[in-house]
Amino acid sequence: MTAIDSALQPAHDTAHGHHAKPSGITRWLFATNHKDIGSLYLWFAFSMFIFGGVLALCIRAELFRPGLQFWQPELFNQFTTLHGLIMVFGAIMPAFTGLANWMLPLMIGAPDMAFARMNNWSFWLLPPAALLLLISFAVPGGAAAAGWTLYAPLSTQMGMGMDLTIFAIHIMGVSSIMGSINIIVTILNLRAPGMTMMKMPMFAWASLITAYLIIAVMPVLAGVVTMVLTDRHFGTHFFNAAGGGDPVLYQHIFWFFGHPEVYIMALPAFGIVSHIIPTFSRKPLFGYTSMVYATSSIAILSFMVWAHHMFTTGMPATAQLFFMYATMLIAVPTGVKVFNWIGTMWQGSMSFETPMLFAIGFICLFTVGGLSGVTLSIAAIDIQLQDTYYVVAHFHYVLVAGALFSLFAAVYYWFPKMTGRMYSEFWGKFHFWWSLLWFNVTFFPMHFLGLAGMPRRIPDYNMQFTDFNTMASVGAFCFGLGQLIFFANMLHSLRHGRPAAAKPWEGADTLEWQIATPAPYHSFVEAPDLEVGENGRIDAMHGGKHH
Amino acid sequence: MDKPPATLHDNRLLLKLLLLACVMFVFAWGLIPVYDALCRLTGLGSLQRPDTVGSQRLAATPLAPVLLTFDATVQPGLPWQVRPLTRTLHAVPGEFVRVDYEITNASNRQVIGQAIPRYLPAAAAEYVKKLDCFCFAQQAFAPGETRRFPVVFVVDKNVPAGLDSITLAYTVFDVPGRS
Repeated sequence: MTAIDSALQPAHDTAHGHHAKPSGITRWLFATNHKDIGSLYLWFAFSMFIFGGVLALCIRAELFRPGLQFWQPELFNQFTTLHGLIMVFGAIMPAFTGLANWMLPLMIGAPDMAFARMNNWSFWLLPPAALLLLISFAVPGGAAAAGWTLYAPLSTQMGMGMDLTIFAIHIMGVSSIMGSINIIVTILNLRAPGMTMMKMPMFAWASLITAYLIIAVMPVLAGVVTMVLTDRHFGTHFFNAAGGGDPVLYQHIFWFFGHPEVYIMALPAFGIVSHIIPTFSRKPLFGYTSMVYATSSIAILSFMVWAHHMFTTGMPATAQLFFMYATMLIAVPTGVKVFNWIGTMWQGSMSFETPMLFAIGFICLFTVGGLSGVTLSIAAIDIQLQDTYYVVAHFHYVLVAGALFSLFAAVYYWFPKMTGRMYSEFWGKFHFWWSLLWFNVTFFPMHFLGLAGMPRRIPDYNMQFTDFNTMASVGAFCFGLGQLIFFANMLHSLRHGRPAAAKPWEGADTLEWQIATPAPYHSFVEAPDLEVGENGRIDAMHGGKHH
Repeated sequence: MDKPPATLHDNRLLLKLLLLACVMFVFAWGLIPVYDALCRLTGLGSLQRPDTVGSQRLAATPLAPVLLTFDATVQPGLPWQVRPLTRTLHAVPGEFVRVDYEITNASNRQVIGQAIPRYLPAAAAEYVKKLDCFCFAQQAFAPGETRRFPVVFVVDKNVPAGLDSITLAYTVFDVPGRS
C-alpha cells in the first residue's frame, strides 16, 4: 500500500463511525463481526451443554438405584431424547461452528466470514430452535420421547412435542447449512495470498470437509423428519406398514444422515488436535498431506456405512458383510491420524499445558471409543450388543472424550487470543484431571453393563446391574461439578486473568499468533502476503492491516 | 469498510452450495422409490403378494409334518378383534393347507384394515408359500361387521429339516384417512 493511502487512512476511519466497536445489545443482535458471532455461538453452545448436562444428571439420578425413584418412564424417555438432541445439535455442532467463525478468518488471513449478514442469521436461528425444544416439555404429552433418532413408528404416534422437535430440527438444519456455506466460501475464496490449499491449517481443512458433510446430509434429515410430519398430519404412509409404507425405510434415511453426522462431530476435533499437538511438541505436524487425505477418506467412507446401525433389522447377510467391512475400513484413515499425532509427539520437546493435556486425553480416550466402534462394526457381535449400554459407552467415548475434550482443548488454546488474558493454568489442569477421572468412572463401567445385556433408554433395571450403575451415576455428578470449575475459571480469567502475550505458546506457528493479542476487532482488513509451510505454518508475513 | 462486500465469485459459490443442499433434500425423497425397487428386486418384503407354486415345491412322497401355530395381534387403541379359527396344526410339506381367520370391526364406524404377516422364525418366510391371503389387499369393514377370511398356503418341500415349528402371525392395522 502506498504512503498516501496510509496517510488518508486515519481520516477515513473517523469519517466512518462503524469502525468503532458497536456497544450494547445491538452489538450482539445485529452482529456481523465474525469474532462477535463466534463468541455468541460459543456462549450458546455452553449454555446448551449445561442444559443437556442437567438432563443427563436427571437420567443418572434415576439410574442410581434400580426401581423408579424420581421420574415416570415417560418423562425419563423425554430426558434421554432431549439430552441427545440438545448435545448434538445445540452444544457440539454450534461450538465447532463458533470456533470456525472465530479462528478461520484469523488462520487463513481473511477479513471476516464471506457473508456477514447470513452469518448473523445462522446464529440467531439457534435460540428459537432451542426454545422450541425447551417448551416442548410443557405441552400436552411432553417432549419428544422416541430417542434422539426419532424412529418411526414411535415418532409418528407421539404428541405435539414431536411436532415442536421436528420444527426445531428444521430450523437448526437451516442454521447449520447457512453456517457451512459461509465456512466453505470463506475458505475457498478468502484465503490470503500464499495460503494455498495444501498448506492450509488442518483446522481449516477439517472445517471445510465438515461443512460439505453438513450441506450433504442435513437436508436428508430435514427430508426424513418432514416425512414423519406428513405421516402425522397429512395422511401419508411413508412409514406406516398398513398403508404400504415401511418403518425400516425411516432408519435407512435417518442413518444416511446419521452416520456422516458422527464425523461432523469428529472431524473438527481432529483439526483442533492437529494444531495443539504440534504446538506443545514444538515439532511440525507429522504427515500433513496424509492427514488431509485421511480426513477426506473418512468423509467419503462415512456415506457408505449407514446400515451398520441397522444390523438387527433383518437385512440379508450379504448387506451385513458389506456394511461390516466398509465400517472396519474407516479405522484405517482414523488409524493414520492417530499414528501421525503420536509421530508428531515422538522426540518432540513436549510440555503439558492444559490444551495439550486435553489433546492427549483426546487421543487416548478417542482411541478407546474407536476400538469399541470396531468391535460394534462386527455384525455378529453387534446383534448381541445392539441398543445396550455398550453402545452408550462407545459413543460417549468418541463424543465426550472426543468432541468435548477437543473443544475444551481449543477454548484453553485460543482463550488468550480471543480475550487477551490467560486462564488459570492450575484450575485448567485441575479441570482436565478431574474430568478425565470422572469421565472414565462414568462411562467405562457402561461397557460391562452393555456386555451383561443392560438395555439403553430404560429407567429401571435388574438388580445385577446396580453396582456399575451406582458408579456411573457418582461419576456423572462429579464430572458435571467439574464443568462448573471450567465455567468459573473462564469467567474469572475473562476479567482478572493476567494479560497474555501475542504468542503465549512457544511452539505456535499459525497465522492467528502473528497478530496482536487480543485479536483486533477488525483483523486482516487488508490481506497479508504470506509465505506458508504445511499445516498453516507462517514463515513470513508482509503487510496485512487491522483496526 | 468492515470487509469487502461479497463478490460475484462468492455469490456464485453460494448458489452452487444452496443448489447442493436442495438436491440432497430431493435425494432424501428419492430414496423412497429406490428402497421400494430394491425390495421388489431382492424379494425382501414380498410377504404380501401371492406366491406361485410349481411342482418343484410339491412333494411326491410324504415328508415329516411341520407344526404350524397361528396367531394375531392388534395394537392398543385400534378397533379390531382378530382370531385364528385354527390355533395349531401339523402340515405335511408339499400339501395345500387352508385355515380361517375371523376379523371383527368392533367400532361403530366404517374402517379399512390391512393385515401384515410375520413369521417366526423369520427364516421360515421363504418356505411358506401363500396362494390366498386377506393380507394381499386392504379390507373394508362396515360398523360392527364380522368376516371370515381363508389363508391358503403350501409349506415348501425344501423346508430344512431343523425348521419343524413355524408361527404365522398377523398384525392388523387400520389405514388412516381411508375410512
